[in-house]
Amino acid sequence: MKQGALLKWSRVILAILFFLPITFFFVDFSDVLPDSLSRLLDFQIIPALLGGFIGILVLQAVLAFLFGRIYCSVLCPAGILQDIINRLFCIGKKKKKGSRRFLFRKPSNVLRYGLLAVTVILGVFGFTGLVMLLDPYSNFGRIATNLFRPVVMWGNNLIADLFMKMDNYSLYHVTVSTVTTVALVAAFTALLLFVIMVVFRGRLFCNTLCPVGSSLGLISRYSLFRITFDKAGCVQCGKCEYSCKAEAIDAKNMTVDASRCVTCFNCVSSCSKNGLAYKLNPIFKSNKQEALTDLSIDTSALKKPNGRRNFLTTTVAIAGSAPIVSALADNVSTEKEKEIKKWPPITPPGSLSLERFKDKCTACHLCVVQCPSHVLRPTGLEYGLDYLLRPRLAYIDSYCNYECTVCADVCPTDAIKPLTKEEKITTQVGIAKFMIDLCIVHTEKTDCGACSEHCPTQAVHMVPYEGTLTIPNVTEDLCIGCGGCESICPVRPVRAIVIKANTEHLFVDLPEEEEVKEVQIDDFGF
Amino acid sequence: MKRRDFLKTSAIAGAALSLNFDNLHAALSSNTIAVEKAPDMVAVMGGEPEVMLDKALEALGGISKYIKKGQKVVIKPNIGWDRTPELAGNTNPALVKALVKRCLDAGASKVTVFDHTCDNWQKCYDSSGIAAAVKEAGGIIMPGNDEKYYKPVDLPLGKNLKSTAIHEALIEADAWINVPVLKNHGGAKLTCAMKNYMGIVWDRRFFHQNDLQQCIADVCTWNKKPVLNIVDAYRIMHQNGPQGKSAADIATLKSLIISPNIVAIDTAALGLFNQVKKLEMEAVGHIGKGEEFKLGTTSLDKLTIKRIKI
Repeated sequence: MKQGALLKWSRVILAILFFLPITFFFVDFSDVLPDSLSRLLDFQIIPALLGGFIGILVLQAVLAFLFGRIYCSVLCPAGILQDIINRLFCIGKKKKKGSRRFLFRKPSNVLRYGLLAVTVILGVFGFTGLVMLLDPYSNFGRIATNLFRPVVMWGNNLIADLFMKMDNYSLYHVTVSTVTTVALVAAFTALLLFVIMVVFRGRLFCNTLCPVGSSLGLISRYSLFRITFDKAGCVQCGKCEYSCKAEAIDAKNMTVDASRCVTCFNCVSSCSKNGLAYKLNPIFKSNKQEALTDLSIDTSALKKPNGRRNFLTTTVAIAGSAPIVSALADNVSTEKEKEIKKWPPITPPGSLSLERFKDKCTACHLCVVQCPSHVLRPTGLEYGLDYLLRPRLAYIDSYCNYECTVCADVCPTDAIKPLTKEEKITTQVGIAKFMIDLCIVHTEKTDCGACSEHCPTQAVHMVPYEGTLTIPNVTEDLCIGCGGCESICPVRPVRAIVIKANTEHLFVDLPEEEEVKEVQIDDFGF
Repeated sequence: MKRRDFLKTSAIAGAALSLNFDNLHAALSSNTIAVEKAPDMVAVMGGEPEVMLDKALEALGGISKYIKKGQKVVIKPNIGWDRTPELAGNTNPALVKALVKRCLDAGASKVTVFDHTCDNWQKCYDSSGIAAAVKEAGGIIMPGNDEKYYKPVDLPLGKNLKSTAIHEALIEADAWINVPVLKNHGGAKLTCAMKNYMGIVWDRRFFHQNDLQQCIADVCTWNKKPVLNIVDAYRIMHQNGPQGKSAADIATLKSLIISPNIVAIDTAALGLFNQVKKLEMEAVGHIGKGEEFKLGTTSLDKLTIKRIKI
């Protein structure tokens, strides 16, 4: 096999080997796959950066310096997704004549490095919202979680219903409950953005908006191995340029912009004349001129914003404003509700504090997918811009399972730190606040006790009230804020028992072990 | 007596006799006509769940009195919580397993088991040991996690609860057996046979909003009654129910009660419970309300109860 084809197909196979398990993990609504699959995500750069995994960062930098942006064509699920979109777009188009005709374009250096600088500066000052919105991995996560997964679930339901008719319950009916409006809008916008950019301009996202692409570009510019023209072999047919998704090859001038090359090897595989090859070609040996033109800033474009740039800014603006519109529709009904809505969001056990969580979470929604209780929900703007899309414990109709640590086990950024079972059942993410004047037992004078029934620590327990009635009472030192009580409280519109978040998580003592008393009876008692 | 009446009466008598071959056989072999009346309730103490079940069924006259050949049968245990069998949050899996087998032996065309759980349904089904037990016995364990599985039914006799959605397995069933575990309950005070009905409906919030005790009695008026109620009191939860915190909440009574009379069996179960923890009948409001609906009697002295100690 020719070097080109070999390289390209190795890249394709490796990419599939990463992409498929990651995608399956993100659509795995019934927890079939092992949580350890999340280790595949350790290679993701933004999560590693926010999680402070220096080793991974060094590894990625060395990889980029040696071989170029391998990350973008093998490891990045958003990159592979764009390649798939490209592939789908090619269906039905003539193969031989270069199914996609990309043309060399000058790099949008102002945009990519400007955006990277803004992202970094904001991040340094503690606002990670922009990196969260631009991170390719997290965008892929949101697309898979909020668009692909529901489709898979509906497919499952169709088959489950068929199976059910035959008394086979190996598949079961599931309800899509964790897709919030804001998450749907964010995922849809991101997918639309990918599709439009890919259809018109190939890997434009990776070379303009993507902070990982821009950072790696700064390194790959100097990479040792790179696509290099062989001026003797090249007949300037232009096939390589047409095949370059990154629009980085200028066939006429025989230059390759290594800062934008995503090492897909389509060019070397398309060349029939050995006109270019992937080989060791350190920058100090190559044409200095080439490198310099890449860096030069396209000032004319700056002065006269063209259609393309307008398009980009508009799309980004739409992406940013859509969640605002949806959040405005949420109207607050009562005073109590207003007060409760001012309480901070409840962050998952293991996140340690609200501030730490906001700094580290990239809203990839993997925890939302994997939470067996479906209690983690992506948040809108109700807690401000800096909590946008990040998951919170929403005790709408479910609660955080007592001994479960799945979200912490799968979190790729360490935003939710791994917990032992013992640590989990003593981590207090919030405290149950009981409002007696709303309670059924008080207002209707009937038995209820649903809250206490669901309390795993009996922090919420029933105490004598009027007559034979009993009413809930909260021992705050035992409460871990799991939301069992809130999720089941039948009072509406405002529930009589609501968890108030701890912005700094606390630790409570384990419920005291009672002595086991042997009970002996010899009679039936009736 | 007119000839026609005579014929009618003898036909009925003949049919009645033919229903109970055991007694007829016994009468013929022993040459006496003293036929022992089947008890209204059987209580067994001191054995393993499957042994007590067999003793109780035998005393009642055999399971074939209740489960007929070819019937679609549903067994409704309590599988509400993510708890292991030792913590008695759910019905004993050994009892469920034995019962599934007995129903299949009696010729049931299929035996389905489900519960609308409180904790995550898969965790409950697994931790309780019931999913595995049912599969081993050859029954079908069916999910109850989604509203889709529930179909609306009217409860014309209900006072607060006039209609509700009930699991389709029960709606399609020819016969069902109610198999609760005896526990203390923070809201209803006691959970046993009547309270176990809350696991057959989808919307439990309505119950809590509209007088829990009344709604429990209301749902029990559904016209498809269980052919038997079997109370698992092998281990009971006497405090911190219905979920329980630890082994300290559990008492091992190694008991089982069986009766078609749901009010009576809950009354009896309360009697058993009272030997461990004091609980007033008035506090468990749904039992009295069930009697008002004529779903059964709380006057156990009016019933024939067979008590067996192993």
